[in-house]
Amino acid sequence: MKRMLSVVVAVGLALSLASPAGAQQDTLAKVKDSGVLTIGTRTGSPPFAYINKNNEWVGFSIDLVEMLVKPEVQKAVGKPIKVEKKESTPPTRIPLLSSNAVDLIAGTMTDTPQRREAVDFSLTFFYTGAQFLVKKGSPIKSVNDLAGKRVAAQQGSTNAKILREKYPQAQLREFPDQPAAFQALLQGQVDTYTNDGIQLYGLKAKAPKPDEWDVVGDFYSEEPYGMAMRKGDAKFKAAVDAGLKNGFESGKYFEIYETWFGPKGELPYPMTPQVKAYLLKQIGK
Amino acid sequence: MNYQFKWSVLWSGQSGVWLLQGLITTVEISALAWVLAAALGILSGALRTVPWKLARALATFYVEFFRNVPLLVWMFFWYFGVPPLLPRAVQDWIFNHSAEFWAGMFALGVYHGARMSEIIRAGILSIPRTQFEAAMAMGLTTFQAYRLVIVPIALRLIVPPATNDSLNLLKNSSVALTISVAELTFQTRQIETYTAKAIEALTAGTVIYLVLCVGIAAIMARVERRFAIPGLIARGG
Repeated sequence: MKRMLSVVVAVGLALSLASPAGAQQDTLAKVKDSGVLTIGTRTGSPPFAYINKNNEWVGFSIDLVEMLVKPEVQKAVGKPIKVEKKESTPPTRIPLLSSNAVDLIAGTMTDTPQRREAVDFSLTFFYTGAQFLVKKGSPIKSVNDLAGKRVAAQQGSTNAKILREKYPQAQLREFPDQPAAFQALLQGQVDTYTNDGIQLYGLKAKAPKPDEWDVVGDFYSEEPYGMAMRKGDAKFKAAVDAGLKNGFESGKYFEIYETWFGPKGELPYPMTPQVKAYLLKQIGK
Repeated sequence: MNYQFKWSVLWSGQSGVWLLQGLITTVEISALAWVLAAALGILSGALRTVPWKLARALATFYVEFFRNVPLLVWMFFWYFGVPPLLPRAVQDWIFNHSAEFWAGMFALGVYHGARMSEIIRAGILSIPRTQFEAAMAMGLTTFQAYRLVIVPIALRLIVPPATNDSLNLLKNSSVALTISVAELTFQTRQIETYTAKAIEALTAGTVIYLVLCVGIAAIMARVERRFAIPGLIARGG
């Protein structure tokens, strides 16, 4: 038995040491070789990235990559490239990035100091905060009403972490993706579902009967969204940031925003002056 | 890519407690599901070989229906599909009393029961027919023959494949994280979320599963030796 254990430990160590070896350091070189920029994005997070009624994989985050980041990366590698999409969820996105399966996470990922130890983030491209989706008339009005309530959150999300640490009186149920969490809310397995406010508005709009649902509560967290990439790849980060920066400067970013969040967009969500100032401050304006 | 290993994430902060909690949940859900699977497996495995047509048909239906649908679907079925059939008050009560754990346990137990059933049936079919006839000749009823002779012998014959499937059951318990059961795999992901150290967290999970499974296999190997029926199993070497 003792000998078996040491074998087990040795195999585990060998596996873990072997995986990062031979990894590529330079994303731009990789993109240049393959002609493909692979992004990890969501399938059920309207309007950032989701499968629409016509079965197309679209969204605000995807458009930002296609229209702002892609031209800049093409300039950097000196040839036309294709953008390929892979599904990534909060628990899988950092491993997908570290294992080189994807080059850029462009979905709904919040830029946090902790994550910055593992990945690099682009400029912030959206700003929101955590709120609650509840059935109309629910006693839950804010983060202070959670005692004894069953609260769904996404596994690996910043919201789940805050609730676990600061509001242990809630019964936290963590689901791997948004559709499962929302299904649990629809059926009453949970009393509320918490996520970034904008995503909850997205869900509400897509619900069978949108009028039955309310998004409630002040932001109990700050969620600046960024695109994530492998750590220490300065050249690639410069290209991604340049793409977003050009978008902010030329106004192209705000046009894309308008198509998704404007009055005729997928999810009307006017940009507040504070958010606009926050975004522009990043480029020194 | 320059990956910086930091194994200390596994014992700093709450990681240790989480891994332990995850381990306990995994063992609990697997043990309960195993008991359910064994009971359903023995019952339906035996029924598939009895001389009554209706009983055979029922057992066959159970096996084919439950083993041929993916486990993930069963998880969703027991968690999302079954509760709406119950009265609202009952629903609220079970949702407040770890519905996800019980749904996961049922999904795992019923699914593996169907697989266990086939193993038991194989064990029963490998017993010479004369054994059953001898039991009847002793004046036992069919039920007594199964309870006292056939099933006990079959159980002693099927230890290796049953061990195999029991280990599968243990590992399949990780599917329950899709319905928010905080078992071992869930907790390793949790550590990864907090520390962004995926390789360390996954290695910890892998080693724990391995140790658990190797331990069970070792115990079952002893059980197998202890209960082998001399003369019925051809021993190699």
